[in-house]
Amino acid sequence: MTLSPLDELLIYSAATLLVALLLGRRLAVGWMVTVLYGVQLLGLLKLAALAYGGEAVPASFSFEVLGHHLGWRFDALSWFFALITLGSALLSSWYSCGEWERSFRRQGGNLWLFHSALALNVFCMLILLSSGDLLSLFIGWELVSWAGFLLMAMAGGIATQAAMRYITYAMAGAMAIFGGIALVYVSAGSLQYEAIVTAVARMDTAHLWMLVILFSAGFGVKMGLLPFHLWQAPAYAETPGPGSAFLGAISSRMGLFAILLVLVKLFGIINIESLKIPFTLIDARDLLAWIAVLTIILPTFTAMKQNDARHLLAWHGIGQGGYMLLGLVVADAMGGAGGLLHVFNHATYQAALFMAVTAVIHRTGTADLNKLGGLVVRMPLSFLVLLVGIIGLAGLPPMNGFVSKWLVYRSLLNQGMPLLFLASVIGTLGTILSVYKLIHNIFLGQLRVEHEQVKEAPWSMMVPMLILAAIIFVTGLFPGIPLAWVASAQQAVGLPVPDYTLGGVSSGSGSLDMIWVIGVLFAGFGIGALIFYSAGPSKRVHQLDNYAGGHFLTADVRYQYSDNFYAGLMHLIKGWYRGSFLWLESSVRSLVEFLSLGMQGIYRRANAEFYLLSTALFVIAWVVF
Amino acid sequence: MAPVELFVELTLMPLIAFAVGLMMVLMMRRIAARLQRRVGPPFFQPLYDIVKLHGKKTQVSHGLIHDIGIIMAMGGYIAAETLLPVPGMNGIADKGGIITLLYLMMIPSLGLALGVGQCANPNGSIGIARALTAMLAYDIPLVIVIFGVSFAYGSTNLVTLIQAQQAGGFETWGAVQNPVLALAGLIAMHASLGKQPFEIYIAPSEIATGPMVEMGGKYLGGLFVMQCFQLYTSSVLYVSLFLGGGTTWFDFLLKSFLVLAIPVSIAYLFPRYRTEDLLRLMWKWPVMLGLIGLAFVM
Repeated sequence: MTLSPLDELLIYSAATLLVALLLGRRLAVGWMVTVLYGVQLLGLLKLAALAYGGEAVPASFSFEVLGHHLGWRFDALSWFFALITLGSALLSSWYSCGEWERSFRRQGGNLWLFHSALALNVFCMLILLSSGDLLSLFIGWELVSWAGFLLMAMAGGIATQAAMRYITYAMAGAMAIFGGIALVYVSAGSLQYEAIVTAVARMDTAHLWMLVILFSAGFGVKMGLLPFHLWQAPAYAETPGPGSAFLGAISSRMGLFAILLVLVKLFGIINIESLKIPFTLIDARDLLAWIAVLTIILPTFTAMKQNDARHLLAWHGIGQGGYMLLGLVVADAMGGAGGLLHVFNHATYQAALFMAVTAVIHRTGTADLNKLGGLVVRMPLSFLVLLVGIIGLAGLPPMNGFVSKWLVYRSLLNQGMPLLFLASVIGTLGTILSVYKLIHNIFLGQLRVEHEQVKEAPWSMMVPMLILAAIIFVTGLFPGIPLAWVASAQQAVGLPVPDYTLGGVSSGSGSLDMIWVIGVLFAGFGIGALIFYSAGPSKRVHQLDNYAGGHFLTADVRYQYSDNFYAGLMHLIKGWYRGSFLWLESSVRSLVEFLSLGMQGIYRRANAEFYLLSTALFVIAWVVF
Repeated sequence: MAPVELFVELTLMPLIAFAVGLMMVLMMRRIAARLQRRVGPPFFQPLYDIVKLHGKKTQVSHGLIHDIGIIMAMGGYIAAETLLPVPGMNGIADKGGIITLLYLMMIPSLGLALGVGQCANPNGSIGIARALTAMLAYDIPLVIVIFGVSFAYGSTNLVTLIQAQQAGGFETWGAVQNPVLALAGLIAMHASLGKQPFEIYIAPSEIATGPMVEMGGKYLGGLFVMQCFQLYTSSVLYVSLFLGGGTTWFDFLLKSFLVLAIPVSIAYLFPRYRTEDLLRLMWKWPVMLGLIGLAFVM
């Protein structure tokens, strides 16, 4: 038997997991595992033909279970998500090697668990990404859910609570998906993708509605779509640093992958669009789009209020997921490309941002935005990485986040969706405010007395961060590189493909060429520098040598404006933060508690004999008649 | 287009923008002076100011990011000018379009914010928090307006937008076709200039709570240069969106100066709004007008 390239990839991944499990207690294992992630990435590159229009590659093993064929295969969509998964795993694992590992162990962290959980996550994600029918998709889905739980729960304390919340949501979601799969099976008689596509075409409206609701709710839990978003930020933020980087980069995108596969590829956006909501002008697609923009806006403005850098980033991670779904639901050439490209771009800058924040925690011991400040003079390279990352996150040129958001904006413009467009731009503006608070409170402003001796992050952490920063910039300069992969992935799910070039997209109604835009931008910076440095030399002064408006400041107390940063804005909008979703969650919880208490009461307290008798009578009556 | 020709355009466009921007600053000061019954500064005063500020002997730097912030503030606008078509020159307008221009115009704000942050003065940081809040306030109506105009003409390419407006003379101007959007755009543009009554974040008369608190010498000079570009960019963008761009340099400049004269004349008659009132005003009137205008376009 010859092994297909997909078999090799899965074997490498399983080998990585085994090495982490068996040798995980030795300190050198981090490097070994990192090298093995590199090998997995090479294995994936052997499948690179997929990303340029190649045929899907099947795995050579398959099962027959109760008459169902269970198969695994890789197409361009799987390849695209697998590239991001393995890239983030490689860099996160690399980042964790060396000094971070030693300090993690000193603080009592379980390194074996960390490496095993990461390797398990990667393996399960590859299984999910290669699923070839709905049953294997469900198996992969459950594996990913539980593997994610392991990584989230390992830190203990708040993290475990958050992970418990996650697994509760995930199980509810899995029930919804399972119900959906059962419904599909009843109407299609098979769980193969082809059979489902033909079955959907002759499905009645009520049936399809049910399926769309069940699947988008089930997969939406993982993505953190509203109203299922509450678990995500604490769960991702409290994980050990490199784990946060990995989870934030790719984990919740598995939900997007599944939504894309089921709703776009199997059901088809046209069918979803045909589901009108009675007495309104909107249909199921609009509903999904509005859920997406609410997912953009509300978590972004929640992020703005966070005082912990990791929580701030994790909340933005939820918000950015909204852009991806929005683009894919609009589902024209530019929207689909923007949504998928944003998955890649988001993974790069989110990983970089979590790594930079973890580097700060590593050196200062805190991520509290009210206890930092002025670190740019002590940690200039980390500042640079964070700056590149926040420009990407905010979606400004010259970084890659701009390109994917531009594509989403353009698709909304082409389709004539002004309110969705406006809402997505409000999300971007909110992000700009929020990320400036992040960089200001950590790196700008006054350096605290206790941080005067802080050193730059070690090279073992710095190198992966710099690599990510370089990727963020280069894919912003040449978006055509990832757009080629995105185009193949779009074709794999049956979406139209935009006319992309190396520098962006060309279109009759307005093109984008980032090579020119960035070239001109840097030329502008060059001229600005010429003007600036043509004037006389400046004298560097101490940070306390500044104008205090007549107040006398002592050197013992550092004045840093960090708390309630956007006071004027909050003055107006603070009443809008009502915690409605927390209220909703707690009311559902109370309801469940109440019901279970009632059931328990009936079951335990009342006469057991009476129930036994009545059940027996019922059974006898049923048998007799 | 020949590379040499393009290079000449890319060089000339920012240069012209700077020269026109200087004159716009002069116009702004002269209008203020007339309203306050003064004579106002001489013709070359804005240029003298920039030269003077750059030539100061004492230049105080708070670190590299302080310097880079100023460079970004100037460089972002210099780049933005090449995306803004002027009569006879399109630069790289067809390679970016209006959304890219809108986002490029945020780079100077980001640069200023970074530079001020490095100054380690809490008063400066308060100013930046207010400036970014103001940006959130005026960009929302601005974005509605930009969506409306691009949707009405079916393009984000400024060259196409201008050609479509010039096609039928005065009657096809954006301001005639979509007057409500044009009004909303004018209010949003006024706020984006940071002039009274929307200048709480610059707060020139109480310097201790604004972004400029640690800026002196060439730092202030760089921001002065940025202001020249900002005035030019805002008014030319408005002319391109609503007043049919320019067919000749004469009508182009005439329109640009006239457009700018409106907010500038209003500005010096007013005190200022607090940050939250600025938000409330911006999110109410221009947004409402913009949405009504959008309803006409759709």
